[in-house]
Amino acid sequence: MGEQTEGRPQIVGFACSFCTFKASEMAGSLRMKYPDGVRIVQVPCSSRVDPAFVIKSIFDGADAVFVAGCHPGDCHFIKGNYFTRRKMAALKEMLDAFSMKEKLRLFWVSAAEARRFVQKVTALYDGIKEAAHADAGKRN
Amino acid sequence: MQTQAKEIKEGALEKGLNRFLGDEGCLVFGFEGGPVGVRHRIFKGAIDGHVLFNPYFDVNGALYLRRLFSKGAKIILMLRPCEIRSYVELVKLTQVEPEGIIAVSVDCPGTVSSKEKVADLPADGPGLAAYFKAEDKMRPACRTCRERRGVVGDAGVRIAADGSLWACSYTEKGDAFLGLIEGDPAAVPGMLLGESGAPKGPFHTDMAAFAKDFAPCIMCKNCRDVCPVCYCIDCLFNGDEYLPKGDALLNKVLRTGQGAMPQGREVFHLVRMFHVSQSCVGCGACEEACPQSIPLAAYFKGISERLQEMFGYMSGRNADEAIPYLTFQEDELHDAED
Repeated sequence: MGEQTEGRPQIVGFACSFCTFKASEMAGSLRMKYPDGVRIVQVPCSSRVDPAFVIKSIFDGADAVFVAGCHPGDCHFIKGNYFTRRKMAALKEMLDAFSMKEKLRLFWVSAAEARRFVQKVTALYDGIKEAAHADAGKRN
Repeated sequence: MQTQAKEIKEGALEKGLNRFLGDEGCLVFGFEGGPVGVRHRIFKGAIDGHVLFNPYFDVNGALYLRRLFSKGAKIILMLRPCEIRSYVELVKLTQVEPEGIIAVSVDCPGTVSSKEKVADLPADGPGLAAYFKAEDKMRPACRTCRERRGVVGDAGVRIAADGSLWACSYTEKGDAFLGLIEGDPAAVPGMLLGESGAPKGPFHTDMAAFAKDFAPCIMCKNCRDVCPVCYCIDCLFNGDEYLPKGDALLNKVLRTGQGAMPQGREVFHLVRMFHVSQSCVGCGACEEACPQSIPLAAYFKGISERLQEMFGYMSGRNADEAIPYLTFQEDELHDAED
């Protein structure tokens, strides 16, 4: 795992192009601010996210990964996000078995919910930052 | 469907299988005994040298069934429960065409590693069951086996409590197998092998323990190649994207400073662990193939049991159960949503 950039967590997000990515664009055009350590990868549907992407992100240095898609029932491809939920729930269970459950988040953000998107990623960013701070405190 | 059963009298199984093999295009996939040990064999014409029980585990036989799409051939599989379970998973994953295949699971009292040569290993089922009463004589993967009984697939060959062998049928194809064996259907007697105990609590570890156990890994990917359910033809780890080599590796090290070699052990094993999680039968073929003796089975089995438990699924138990990642319910798993 890469050494943490001092106090600036790196977060990789996989965002569905029909909703969460739209929400992030809207957050931009509304001049809302969210942390600059968040890198968003646009995917055609949240179910495109193979858990391999998440695991690779974590071991290539991301402090946390989020997968975000449309609310269940609102998938552009009818049922993609139900599969996402199963896969990500299982992946969380697996990461939990390796004591790193906090590295993955799954949330639903519709194209209209720019505020919710900003809240979610900011909360994730702050949480990671705090945990890193507490860790550093323990080590010193 | 009511389970039908027949006692297998001395020589009745050989006779029945030989009769089956007399027809054109019929094969039996089972074990052959020989001076060098017991190995897999596909029998054609006659079943000379066939043995029912194989106390040595080398590879999972379902590995050879991948991409078997022929509808013409008729094949009877006479394999261990773990191998039949892998076969059932491969059928669900559309990697095997099950039309002409009768899958018969044979009671498995336990196995030792094929690398071990045990002098006094009995050859018959009841003898093996007595030998493996002491569980520490088994391979680690077999010690924690979830299904030793021949109750999966189309039919089973079971050892009764009195040491006699019984053929049991679970599906229509199984009835066809039962039809090959002489004798009259009878009530199922008490069986020698009982149900396996539940796993000892959910598997839990951390990356430090993982790093220690997987430190000797040389990334030969043997574990992937012998895994019966790791079936992708175009594996993620064949290209440069996940396991950079050459220039890509140089760039990655320059960019991230991660220089520990070989690269990508964590990613490779964790991704594989997830990808096979719902179909892993815990046969331990990966551990058997590992040149570095990494305790792979404990990790893969622990994770897969934990992830299958989430959906109340058990790999290969029932051909009608859908693999959890390929289906869903609309109202479920709200704990996973943040």
